[in-house]
Amino acid sequence: MGQALAPDRVTLPGPFAVGRYARKLEEEMRRRARVSLIGEVTGLSRSKAQAYFELRDAEGAIPCAIWLSDLEKLALPEIGLRDGAEVVIGGGPDYYRGGAQASPAFYFRATQIRLAGEGDLIARLEALRKQLRAEGLFELQRRLARPRLPKRIGVVTAESGAARRDLLAGLERRGWRGTIVWAFAPVQDRHAAPAIAGAIQGLAAQPEVEAIVVTRGGGSLADLWAFCDETLCRTVAMLRVPVISAIGHERDSTLIDDVVAVACSTPTHAAEAAVPLDLRAARDELARRAVALRRAAAGAVATRTPHLVALARGPARALRRERLDLNRKTREIRAAAERGVAERRGFQRRLVAVVLERARRRAAGPDLERRREALRRAAVALRAHEPEHTLERGYALVEGEDGEPLTSAAATRAADRVSLRFADGSVRARPEPGT
Amino acid sequence: MAASEQDRNPGPESYEEGVERLEQIIDRLDSGQAGLRETLELCREGRDLVNYCAAELDAVGEDLKELKLDELAERLAAGTP
Repeated sequence: MGQALAPDRVTLPGPFAVGRYARKLEEEMRRRARVSLIGEVTGLSRSKAQAYFELRDAEGAIPCAIWLSDLEKLALPEIGLRDGAEVVIGGGPDYYRGGAQASPAFYFRATQIRLAGEGDLIARLEALRKQLRAEGLFELQRRLARPRLPKRIGVVTAESGAARRDLLAGLERRGWRGTIVWAFAPVQDRHAAPAIAGAIQGLAAQPEVEAIVVTRGGGSLADLWAFCDETLCRTVAMLRVPVISAIGHERDSTLIDDVVAVACSTPTHAAEAAVPLDLRAARDELARRAVALRRAAAGAVATRTPHLVALARGPARALRRERLDLNRKTREIRAAAERGVAERRGFQRRLVAVVLERARRRAAGPDLERRREALRRAAVALRAHEPEHTLERGYALVEGEDGEPLTSAAATRAADRVSLRFADGSVRARPEPGT
Repeated sequence: MAASEQDRNPGPESYEEGVERLEQIIDRLDSGQAGLRETLELCREGRDLVNYCAAELDAVGEDLKELKLDELAERLAAGTP
């Protein structure tokens, strides 16, 4: 150690006061050219005033710091500055000489930071996503009704590619053999966006296309960037035909996934989304429903059969009931009639008894004596007027030959013979003519 | 006569509409609430729906047809289906 220091003592200037040297170093560092560096952010931390991180790549790293006031001015997306993000920073080396209580430190003082590569794309994508969401464009396609059994499907994809094959295989698994309208388009990088938008619009213009699938295989975000194109995404959002996307692999998220009716992770899933109905299962289900319908119909008839039978027997039963009712009424009427005759007979018997009683009373009562006396007096009076009693007093009755009294001289003159009836007998006589 | 034609179901416009109506019919029949006349009408409508849905399944279950948008557009422009 002592041997190693020996040459310095002879050849180096100084010794300088360390504080003065530190200040000189600080000035020297700050005079160095400002540059931009690219690397990955690691060890991100924040104090009250600054954010600290290391910028690193495979060959080395530099400690970095940025004043929070500068960082806020950059308006980075929230996900922008984070561990693992690839960033481009602008600034220069800086040396903090420390103080009585503060430790010295070396930093690359950053005044600008932007996300690099995919990080940059992601940041731009996030900004665009935020804007389209705010405009309500994410909801439009999702509100569209999707047919469960479309007859015609439009597909936008590359003419040669695994996505096309996978989509066909998915549809075949569904048992779907309708009509596919292919709209082949380049699907690589951002320049493909207008062709893709044109293909989708062309399919949507076909009246019988009920759903549109847009698909391509996996790739980097730059490869898939066409599907993050603002114009393309706005076009899709406004279509009235539901669009189903399957762009890249499961981890990839393009902007078109946000505006379509359904975003799928693979072409196979897109086939299932385009034809939600599994035809084989649907046939089985329909057959079950047909059976259920027949069973329900048979059940409805079976439960009503007793009632129907009862209804069929109804007239005979009603007739029998009426007949029984009629018989009963007939018996009642007869009984009532017999009761009426008996009552009338009783009444008559009572009436006769009353009459007889009255007759008996009349016969036996004081009226009889009175009437007998009147009768006796009448007989005396009558007898006083009998001719025999007159004859007894010396009168004679002139009678004709027929025994009829002759009560005038002319009748006597006209008679050939007369009979003079006295009280003690009759004397026959002949009137003299001319007297 | 006019009233009965208005009451008659116009028929489903899609497979899913047909299936939905068919389920309603089966539920109604299973409930036992339908009268005899309604039951007979529901059974007739249900049979029609089963036939309709089966035809819809057949329409997309036979042969896959593949068209290209450009060709289709040209045919439409030429007035041929």
